[in-house]
Amino acid sequence: MKKLFLVFISLLCFIQINAQQVVTGKVSDNNNSPLPGVSVQVQGTTRGTFSDMNGVYSISASRTDTLVFSMVGMITQKISIGAQSVINLKLNSQNAVLGEVVVVGYGTQKKLEVTGAVTQVKGDEITKQPSINPISALQGKVAGVQITNGGAPGSSPEIRIRGVGTVYGNANPLYVVDGVWYDDISFLNNADIESINILKDASSESIYGIRAANGVVLISTKKGARNTLPVVTYNGYFGNQVVTNQIKMADGPSFATLINELDAINGVTPRYASPASYGTTNWYRQILGNALTTNHQLSIAGGGEKSTYNLSIGYLMQQGIVKTNKFDRYTAKFQNDFQVSSFLKLGYSLTGSMNNSTDIDGGIFHQLYAATPICPVYYADGTYGDPMDFNVGSSTTFNPQVTIDYYNQKSINYRLTGNLFGDLQLGKHLLFHTSFGTDFGQNEVTNYLPQYTATLTQRNSISQLTVSRGENRNWLVENTLTYDNQFGDHDVKVLLGQSAQSYKYYWLTATAKDVPNGSNGDHYLTLGDPASLYVNDAGSLNTVASYFGRINYAFRSKYLLTASLRADGSSKFTGSNRWGVFPSVGAGWVISQEDFMKGQNLFNTLKLRGSWGKIGNMSVPANLSVLTVNSSYVYTGGDGSTAAGASITTIVPPVTYWERGVGTDIGLEAALLNSRLTAEIDYYNRKTEKAIFDIPILGSLGTSGSSIVGNQATFQNQGMEFLVTWKNTASTDFSYSLSANLAINTNKVLEVSTGAIPIYQAVGTTGSNNYNTRTVIGEPIGEFYGLQVIGIFQNVGEINAYKNSKGTVIQSTAVPGDFKYRDVNDDGVIDDKDRVVLGNPNPKFTYGFNSTWNFKAFDLTLDFQGVAGVQIYDANLGLRYGTENFTQDFWLNRWHGDGTSNTYPSANIGGGLNYRSNSFYVENGSYFRVRNAQLGYTIPSSITDKIKISKIRVYLNAQNALNLFKYRGFSPEIGGGPTRAGVDVNVYPLYATYTFGVNVTF
Amino acid sequence: MKIYLNKMLKVTRITGLAIASLLILARCTDKFLDVPPQGQQKAEQFFVSESDATKAVNAIYANLRSWTNTAFAPIAIESVGSDDAEKGSDPSDATFMNDYDNFTVTSTQGQLSDFWNGQYQNINLCNQVLDNVPSINMDATLKARYLAEAKFVRAYSYFRLVRAFGDVPLRLTTPVNTSDYNIPRTPKAAVYAAIEQDLTDAAAVLPQSYTGASVGRATKGAALALHAKVSMYLGNWTDVKTYTDLVMGMGYSLYSDFGNLFRIANENCSESIFEIQCSLVLGNSAASSSQYSQVQGVRSVTGGGWGFNVPTQSLADAFETGDPRRDATIIFRGETTTAGDAIPATVPNPMYNEKSYVPFSLFVSGYNEGCQQNVRVIRYADVLLMNAEANNELGNTVPALASLELVRARARAGNNAILPKVVTTDKDALRTAIWNERRVELAMEFDRYFDVIRQGRAATVFGPKGWKANKNEVWPIPQSEIDLSVGVLTQNPGY
Repeated sequence: MKKLFLVFISLLCFIQINAQQVVTGKVSDNNNSPLPGVSVQVQGTTRGTFSDMNGVYSISASRTDTLVFSMVGMITQKISIGAQSVINLKLNSQNAVLGEVVVVGYGTQKKLEVTGAVTQVKGDEITKQPSINPISALQGKVAGVQITNGGAPGSSPEIRIRGVGTVYGNANPLYVVDGVWYDDISFLNNADIESINILKDASSESIYGIRAANGVVLISTKKGARNTLPVVTYNGYFGNQVVTNQIKMADGPSFATLINELDAINGVTPRYASPASYGTTNWYRQILGNALTTNHQLSIAGGGEKSTYNLSIGYLMQQGIVKTNKFDRYTAKFQNDFQVSSFLKLGYSLTGSMNNSTDIDGGIFHQLYAATPICPVYYADGTYGDPMDFNVGSSTTFNPQVTIDYYNQKSINYRLTGNLFGDLQLGKHLLFHTSFGTDFGQNEVTNYLPQYTATLTQRNSISQLTVSRGENRNWLVENTLTYDNQFGDHDVKVLLGQSAQSYKYYWLTATAKDVPNGSNGDHYLTLGDPASLYVNDAGSLNTVASYFGRINYAFRSKYLLTASLRADGSSKFTGSNRWGVFPSVGAGWVISQEDFMKGQNLFNTLKLRGSWGKIGNMSVPANLSVLTVNSSYVYTGGDGSTAAGASITTIVPPVTYWERGVGTDIGLEAALLNSRLTAEIDYYNRKTEKAIFDIPILGSLGTSGSSIVGNQATFQNQGMEFLVTWKNTASTDFSYSLSANLAINTNKVLEVSTGAIPIYQAVGTTGSNNYNTRTVIGEPIGEFYGLQVIGIFQNVGEINAYKNSKGTVIQSTAVPGDFKYRDVNDDGVIDDKDRVVLGNPNPKFTYGFNSTWNFKAFDLTLDFQGVAGVQIYDANLGLRYGTENFTQDFWLNRWHGDGTSNTYPSANIGGGLNYRSNSFYVENGSYFRVRNAQLGYTIPSSITDKIKISKIRVYLNAQNALNLFKYRGFSPEIGGGPTRAGVDVNVYPLYATYTFGVNVTF
Repeated sequence: MKIYLNKMLKVTRITGLAIASLLILARCTDKFLDVPPQGQQKAEQFFVSESDATKAVNAIYANLRSWTNTAFAPIAIESVGSDDAEKGSDPSDATFMNDYDNFTVTSTQGQLSDFWNGQYQNINLCNQVLDNVPSINMDATLKARYLAEAKFVRAYSYFRLVRAFGDVPLRLTTPVNTSDYNIPRTPKAAVYAAIEQDLTDAAAVLPQSYTGASVGRATKGAALALHAKVSMYLGNWTDVKTYTDLVMGMGYSLYSDFGNLFRIANENCSESIFEIQCSLVLGNSAASSSQYSQVQGVRSVTGGGWGFNVPTQSLADAFETGDPRRDATIIFRGETTTAGDAIPATVPNPMYNEKSYVPFSLFVSGYNEGCQQNVRVIRYADVLLMNAEANNELGNTVPALASLELVRARARAGNNAILPKVVTTDKDALRTAIWNERRVELAMEFDRYFDVIRQGRAATVFGPKGWKANKNEVWPIPQSEIDLSVGVLTQNPGY
């Protein structure tokens, strides 16, 4: 490490000074604070210098020279010297929206010249938040980007760009980090990110053809800048995560009373003679706790005349709010590039990450919900409390403390990602770029189930060791040729490219029984019973070849035209369906550049743009039309022996082809009032055509699955996005920015090959065919579906009086306290034909308010975020097999006798017909929260100068501190796959994170 | 002009070169993109060797222990409708099961499609063998036996379907074209004819017994006994007599100790005619997949189970005084089983099925309780009772009484104070005696429900529970199936 560091330092080159005339000056930012470390270079030469601690620079140059002032995060300015010998200037932050440069596919572009919908978020906004995954920090920042955070330490959030774009495949977007493609970017430290650019419309995504259907997130990592002194920065925080919005469960006496009521309804003797005599165990309090988190990142960046470098190391630790859960991540990032000669540049960036975690049993959250409150954690003698001693049903015989104490699983992930590139300048206008990127990962999971006896049912008679190894070997080669020239008023950029990719995954798992447990050193399969050894493996390999091209044309920066075409061949498809061709066009009109706009002062910029494009989705299962053998059968002979069984148990479609998205986007961008007010409005319509969909087939075909997967649906996401930002520097001491964004999205299924026959899913419900989501033509994907509750039967008289138009008693088997359902078809029975739409798990509105305030040395960030027009299916309420606990809300509101409630049922909510998917379980899922609040203080340079540190900023941050929602569960952030979304059954509880952090620049 | 031509030539050459290199590139690309399915054998490479034939037949047997073949679906369709069994378990767990008990079931309920799909899965596995194995170059005797085994299971599955639903789509080959996918219901009589044909074919080929790992495969006796049962449902008493007589000449005998007949040690004993083989193989959860005993096991005890499909008081009362089969059939709450398990008095149900019971000590955590218990499909006792009934119907009272007595004598186990020999020669009285004997001998073995319907007295016996004639003889066709057929399939009357 030390050696490597020296090598990089030695690459820093000295700056030649060729004295002609001395120009001096001071560089400051918009707030008039001096900017140290600004690169000041004489254009077209290698001569340059930096501003010092006070922003002051001095450089020799001739009168005809132009000085280039540049700094990371600032807009580069060029100034002709002329007669000046003192040049003071202000550098504007790149945040000045429309002037900013955004990253687009295979290049960068001025935001003003982009014809599609691209949003950029700067690295410092992301670094501000204590999130493990950089994407989590985008929540509420970008219109049309919906992020659902999972909560588990180290987990990646779900991200949906402009709604759900695929049903059967991976609905997360494509991540491109420095040109290399990834499905997941949890290996990145937030502080290493320069910018995140989100391509939202089909035309800008189209250049990423095959994987672009769910949006593209382009990430640039920080790189050193040419001719800059080494800048050492440290970013760190530590803090505490605190469970918020904890659900209150029924206490011991209430629980005993409820179970007695349940027994009475079931016609058996109430089991708890004296409910009031029981104590209460608050299982949530017992198992959940405050959890620490800390993150440190140290980097050194800079560059010489012919090279740049950036080294960074990071450590992140996050404890889970379940006490035994912990996640550690170590990251190291190296970036270098070298100007080998005037026409050749070589470079690489490499990120290594290692994380290890102590895992928890995935079912613990439902256990905490259902656990028996009258059972103590421990008895007086120190042994575990056994719910069986409290006469509970067999589905709640667990003591959650035992569950976490005897769960022993450790995971380690190693990942090495990076790319190697070369730029060959062929003449003035032509650039050849080649890049080789890789993503190598190794995943190791070791699970040991010891032999133990904790309670009557929580015990294990034979120990078991499970060892799993997964590895992925992905690579990507890309070659592009870019031509960039200006002919008078015509700006032309042409891109041609070719790429090949390979994605390989292999997974091996083995278990053995009766493995000793003297130490971790015993955890080897060979020490177990050889007869019990069981090995399984799986893998995947898919390859992609692509050719692509794009033309950007601009006339006087006024009329903009973009056209691209991409052809992709994927190994997932066969024959003539292998190749997909994805065209796109975009046009823009920068109205503010028109002559007729010259006289006005209102608009600084005004742009109208429109685009259309086709995009593909490769993240679907491979070889869907290849009939394969099902070898999952095991024959067991009468002598106890086993033998392999295999047969053909599927039907495949004759052909499958690309799932494609077709999208249109119309946008208006404006900057007004000296660019203090900026606004962006987009309308979009995106169809996913020939979507890979899983549709039911006749059971009499005898297939092992009851569906066939193929190109069988078309659906649409349509919506509007609004972004308004107001930035003002009121005085040298005070500046602020306010920003609001709103996205409206409607998701609708347009076509399914089953016609009007819906596709149902049962998610987190009991009973068979108790479907609670439905996907059908004309409706959103995975809407909630079920019976309509119109009240609670108060007494037998009401049951007998509830008749249809022909006088048939509709719910003759009901008992008082049961749900009274609407007999929709008036046929005198309540059955599946009476189901109606109950809600939509796809949010209609997502919005955010973001503000930053700077007053002297203080800065304050306040970010708010929310979703609205969305429902949640609370499956926890109905997921009952016996004596699961109830919520306190249920206890207080339940029906327990004539007239006690006409909305909540009796304790028999899991019985009768009450457990069927119905409107009682569907709730408003809207929420609004203070996503992030940060107060920072920058220590005055008068103090930091003395200790030779250029900047020290300290801050306090609160994330998710205040959450407002009506939902009765723990967290309204549910997530889930497209047709299974929004069902709360085992959700990681919501927590707030309070941190104290430091940013130091040496 | 010359220059122009030269230029043309040059252009052509360059174009040619470009096209050639593109072609090479395209071929390389095609090679790069040709990736076979990973970790899955292509179907076109299957059904080529004897080993493939073996695997395909093995798959049929493996599927017989699946959830839809042995667990909730059969409980709903073949058991709780009877007067012998009811839902059991915690009252609020799986309440849908009550709809099959009370005959309030509607066509969208899940066990209907589960049962339907489970049987058709068996049928597809059999059809795969029957379509593809004939062309495999392999040992001719083994090939013939494999085909016969497939026919046996296909017949068994269609029998279960036709009993449950009446007319059903009859698929005797795997579908070739999409036009073969959606076919209408075939009349019950034709389905029965196909079943009989399969069983005749199977009985002609299958061996009388197997050894080692093959024990449990379909035998000649199994095909004949099932044929007898099918004939009994058709009322073809001569056939019943013929087939049962054949089986009775094959060396089967009743196992002496009825109390231990259903324990693991006595699987595949002299009384066994066909059993679904189930095992507990450490480390192999796919082999240890049966949930037959788990779903019926004593609830709320470790090693027990979920407590569904429990005996009714009516069944408990149906046994003659002192009949030891009562205790061997029913686990009573609070008792200690002969295997030594004390059943707590606090378990939620007063009675559990003892015929599916596996002593709790055999439970291995991480596996389904009782997954090692074989499912007894046809026992010799059933054959004897069918023989008795057929002889009685045909007027052969003496052999009828003899067969019946064999069953009663075994139950009596030498205690002459109980279960007196039936001596009546009155045809109706003897029929009633045989029917009663069937009830107690085969109780909780998924026979009673359809047996009573076959006897034509379901309206009397199940009427009080809600059973209605001209409707409940069959269950509704799964609604999802009717919807997917876009009207090609019709619903049974009354649903």
